[in-house]
This record gives sequence, C-alpha cells and structure tokens, in this order.
Amino acid sequence: MTKSLTLLAGVAVFALTASAHAKEQIRVVVGYYSAATEGVFDGMAKDFMAAHPDVDVKIETVQWDNLQQRLTTDIAGNTAPDIALIGTRWLADFVHNDIAEPLDSYMTPEFRDRFIGSFLSPSTINGHVYALPVAASARAMYYNKDLLAKAGVTTPPATWDELVADARKVKALGPDVYGFALQGKEIETDAYWYYSLWTHGGELIEDGKSGIGSSAAVAALTLYRSLLDEGLTEPEPTGYNRQDIERLFKQGRIGMILTGPWLRGQMKTDAPQINYGLAEIPAGTRKATYGVTDSLMLFKGGAHNKVAWQFLDETAFSPKWRIEFSTKEGFLPVTKAEAAAPVFANDPQLTAFTGMLQYAHFAPPIPNWEQAADATIRALQQVYTKQATPEAALHEAAASVNSIIQQ
Amino acid sequence: MANSAAVAFSPVRAAVRRSARRRGHLLAPYGLILPSLILAFWIIGYPIWDVADMSVHAVTRFGQVRGFVGLLNFGHLVEAPLFLGCLVRTIVWTVCVVGGTVGLSIPIALILHEDFAGRDLARVIIMLPWAVSLTMSGIVWRWALDGQAGLFNATLHDLGILNQPVEWLATAGTAFPVEIIIGIIVSIPFSVTVLLGGLSSLPHDIFEAARVDGASVWQRVRYLTLPLLRPFINIALVLNFIYVFNSFPLIWVMTQGDPANSTDILVTWLYKLAFRYGQMDIAAALSLLMFLILLASTILYAALAMRHEDGQNA
Repeated sequence: MTKSLTLLAGVAVFALTASAHAKEQIRVVVGYYSAATEGVFDGMAKDFMAAHPDVDVKIETVQWDNLQQRLTTDIAGNTAPDIALIGTRWLADFVHNDIAEPLDSYMTPEFRDRFIGSFLSPSTINGHVYALPVAASARAMYYNKDLLAKAGVTTPPATWDELVADARKVKALGPDVYGFALQGKEIETDAYWYYSLWTHGGELIEDGKSGIGSSAAVAALTLYRSLLDEGLTEPEPTGYNRQDIERLFKQGRIGMILTGPWLRGQMKTDAPQINYGLAEIPAGTRKATYGVTDSLMLFKGGAHNKVAWQFLDETAFSPKWRIEFSTKEGFLPVTKAEAAAPVFANDPQLTAFTGMLQYAHFAPPIPNWEQAADATIRALQQVYTKQATPEAALHEAAASVNSIIQQ
Repeated sequence: MANSAAVAFSPVRAAVRRSARRRGHLLAPYGLILPSLILAFWIIGYPIWDVADMSVHAVTRFGQVRGFVGLLNFGHLVEAPLFLGCLVRTIVWTVCVVGGTVGLSIPIALILHEDFAGRDLARVIIMLPWAVSLTMSGIVWRWALDGQAGLFNATLHDLGILNQPVEWLATAGTAFPVEIIIGIIVSIPFSVTVLLGGLSSLPHDIFEAARVDGASVWQRVRYLTLPLLRPFINIALVLNFIYVFNSFPLIWVMTQGDPANSTDILVTWLYKLAFRYGQMDIAAALSLLMFLILLASTILYAALAMRHEDGQNA
C-alpha cells in the first residue's frame, strides 16, 4: 500500500516536472463581450502555439460583471494570470498598488506606431504605458428619422439648442413619444451626463481636483434638468438604465439618444423596422464624445512576461487578429492597419463614431474611479428626482470626489 | 464489626469503580466528537477572526494587508456621509419587514390551521414563493413594477386607479416602501411554516374545554392560542430579524440602493465598499459592526423573551 503510494507520487512528480519542462504555459483572462469572444481568442492561441510549439496558451473567458472581482481575488491569492483584459479605467488602481508591469521596455518604435495615437493615452500613466488597447468605442447620437420627419425635423440637431427645439416638436406629437432619452440609473449614468459636461467645456479632473463643481458642469446639468422639467425626456428618468432607454428607442418612442456602437447590431436584430440615423453628439461650446477603451496588461514580475509579450506582439496585435476581433465584436479600430481595412473604411455609419474620435475624452486615470462615479451618479439622481438643484448637488459631489481621489 | 465494615466498604469501592467507569462513558462521546467540534469552531471562527483582523489593519483593494491602524477604519466608517442614513434605513427596513411579516403570518397561520375545503391548496400557494430564489423574485418584481411595461401599473390602470404610469422604483418616496412590502411578501412563507408547526403542537383538550365553557373565538385566540404560541412567535421574530437585517438580494436586484442612495441599507453599502470601491478594510469594519449589532440585539431579545416566559411560569 505505502509502496504503491510512493510510486504513484513519484510518477506524479515526474509527470509534473516533465510537462513543466516541455511547455511553458501562459494564462490569458479575457472579458466576455459576445458569443464570438472565446472563438477569436482561441484562434489567436492556436496561431501562436503553431508558431511556438513549446508554449501552451490557455484562454479563460470571464463575465465582465465578475472580471474585476475575479482579478482582485487572483492577485490577492498570488495566482494572477499572465495577461489580463481590463477596463482601462481600472488601470490606475493596478498601477497605484504596483501590480501592473510597465511596457515601455518591451515596445519597439515600430510596435508603438501600430496604434492610432490617442488610444494609447488612456493607458499611459506618469509617462509610462501600462496596458495596450484592444477594444475601443466612442459615443454618438442615434436619431429616429421617421419620428423626427413626422415632427417636421429634416436634419438632426448639431447643437444642444437645436436639440431642445427638435425635442419640443417631437413632444407635440403626443404623450407616448419623447424627444430625448435621459438615462437615470445604474452603469454609466454618469457617462450619459459627461457628454453634456464635456460639450459645455467642463472637465472631470482639473489640476488634480474634481471638475464637476465648475460652472460648465452646472450649466451641463441645468440643461438636462430643464429638458426633464419641460417634459422633453421620458418621465422619472431614475427608473431607466441604459438598456431601458435603448428599449424605448427600439420601440420607436424616442427621438434622440446618446449611446455606443453596440446599438447598431441590436437594432439590426431587435428593431429592423426603425429607420434611424447616426450623428455627432450635439455641440455646446465645443464638440466632444466619450472614448472608452479596454486593454490588455501584464503583471509586475510575472514569470512568463517575455513569452506573454511575444504573444501580444506577434499575434494579438497583428493586423489579422485585430481586424478579426474588431469586426466580430463591433468595436472601433485602434490600430492603423484596422482603420485602413475595407470593412472599416467603407462603413458610412461608422464614420459618425470614428469622426468623433479626435474630440474623444477618456476616463481620467484616477484611483477609486468607481467610487467617484457613484458619488457623481448620486448627485445626478438628486437632481433628476428634484431633491436638489444642480448647483447644490454638484458642489457636494465635487467635495466627496475630491476626498475619494486623494485617498 | 470488622465483618460489617468489610460489608460496608466493598459496596463503596464498587460504587467508586462504577462511577469511574461511568465517567469514562460520559467523557467518551465528547472525545469522539472533539475533532468535529474543533473543525466546526475553526470553520465558523476563522472567518470572523479574519474579518476582525482586517478591520484593524490597512488593506489594499487586492487584499494585501499593510500596517496595523487600530480603530482608524471604524472612525472612517462612522464619519462616512452615507453611514448614518444607511443605519437608519436598515433599522426601518428590519423593523417594518419583520413586524409586517410576523404580524401577517399569525392570522394567515391561524386560518391555514382551520379545517376548510381546499386548505391543502391554500397552504401550497402560501408556501410556493419560498421555492423561488430571492434573486428571481427580485427580478420578477422589478419587471412587474416597471413604469412603462410593468404588469402592476397595467393592472392598476385597467382598474381605473391610475391614469398615468408610476415609476415605482424611480423615487425614494415609493421605492423603499415598495421594497419593504415585497420583503414582507417573500418572508411570509417561512414564518407561516414556523407558526403552523407551533399550532399543530398545541394541546387540543384545553381548546375543547374553553369551547365548552363558552369562550368566544376571539377569547380563545387572545387568551389561549397567542400565549401558547409565544415561543414560536419568538423564534419567528429572531430568525426573521437576522435574515432581514442581512438581506441583500431583493434591494440589490431591484434598485442597487438607487436613487441617490435612498434605498441603500448597511448590507448593500457593504457590498459596494468591498467589491466596487475596493475598500476592504472599511468593509471589514462595517461587517464586524453589523455582526456585533446582530449578536447584541439577538442576545438582548432572547434574554427579554426568556425573562418574560419565566415570569409567566412563576
């Protein structure tokens, strides 16, 4: 009994060391975007393993809702993967806690030049690049062409003033249709207001402090509140999250809505009867949109970082796989090779998004981003439920954001 | 004399021997369950100890324990602008849901205890919500209460009670009361079960005697059923208190504490602190505080209830 156990243990140890010698394994954790995600990354892994038979690439797909918590637990338990896909806005926390590997020493000038310049900036912190963008989206305005035509509007509004005028005409059509959709709860409720903030000339962070108490911010929120008071949005927006307002748009009950490229795909399957167009986010004192990237990162001191980088350089950021990923997932191009590819260059709808990229604002690289966002959402909800004036709510929120980002 | 002494002595020695053997018998079971006892204490005790340990250290969002900070985390916690509001709402939530649940469960259990046609069916209907997970109930209610497409508004509209849709979960004034009512609905099956068990254990004869003596239905309920049911009501109160105080899924699924934190209770805020904001140390302090609040109020209540029972018996 004991003898056979020892023998078995010996065999097991031998087998383990043998496989460790034979193949170097890298683990890649990615977020689940759609049913296509796993296939695309598995394809990359197969490609890379064919070129490097001594490497084993293991892809793991995790739901986006659980991804941050999953990585946090892995890092706490010293079982972090070799490559992780993250929301770029989380990166500041990783850098702050000395967990992300700086990538400057890995990047050749040629590699750096593959990217469209502005997309590297959100993952550059204190002058170092800590992560590489894989998925990018910008936001634009979708408008219901038939509904606006019925209200006598022929061209989509280019400014907020025009939007208010057009929304009034839509409101005149009846009680079941609304001119402008206003998101009031859950994820990205803050982002829905940043469009207004940025186009009014405001910033989230000014000189290291929160900018949401500025006069531009107050003007931005006063605009939304007046839209609500005038009945130009759906009533009680704090009952509507992003999916809810998108659903109203699919039902043909919303004139204008601000959202990302994913709605194009949903319109095709859920509401093919709606005749819609795409335009830039209405301008205030300037043009702006929200640019969002997700990025791939390596972990500080990772034992397989050299091979992991090879995987990024040779496969994940090769033109072939970039185009494959962005077309299948419906994101905007982040590399020049993608942007030049016919699928992107010849899609007229996409130009509404890509044309806005030069005005894109990204989430600022501050620690505790989620908590600051929640404090902002709280202020917005106080205004949307008429418990507070824009000025009072935003000043209070700016003070709490300041204490949050200085922690 | 010697003879009698010998006679007297030997039973004593036999008794000593017997009691030693009996003591061995008595100790043996404890020895046998000792390993599982240690394991149980470790499984229950280790997380509590770990949380207590985290609550007095600085902990990063990645769970790395830094330095000892004493009671600083508790200070940050109490000073947090949301703390007091969440505490007050937790008390309102717990008192209303537990009070409403037990208050409604007593008449429901009394009715279901009576013999009537279709009683079994009625029991099944009352118990069914229990078989549905709280998360699922929350999702169903969230949809039902939707302002534009919800069944609830549609029904009220058809009945002519509403002429405009109401977004039940969109404002503080309606969202929290609605959540309390749903909290009561989903807690009723458990409490009814406890009380029905209690009712079926009550002796029949005193009810017969009361009826023969001409006590009315109300008098029988007031002076016989309720006093006899008291221990079961106490169990229902204490267990509900613990469940409801810590109840996360309903509020989280329906409003996530929105709008403007007006439906946040301590446990939903705790989740945000730990898993959204990455403030593991303050979250640990809060969770320890909640544990102590629960422990203290349960002990206090149990003591009060027991003293009351003793007083009655004497």
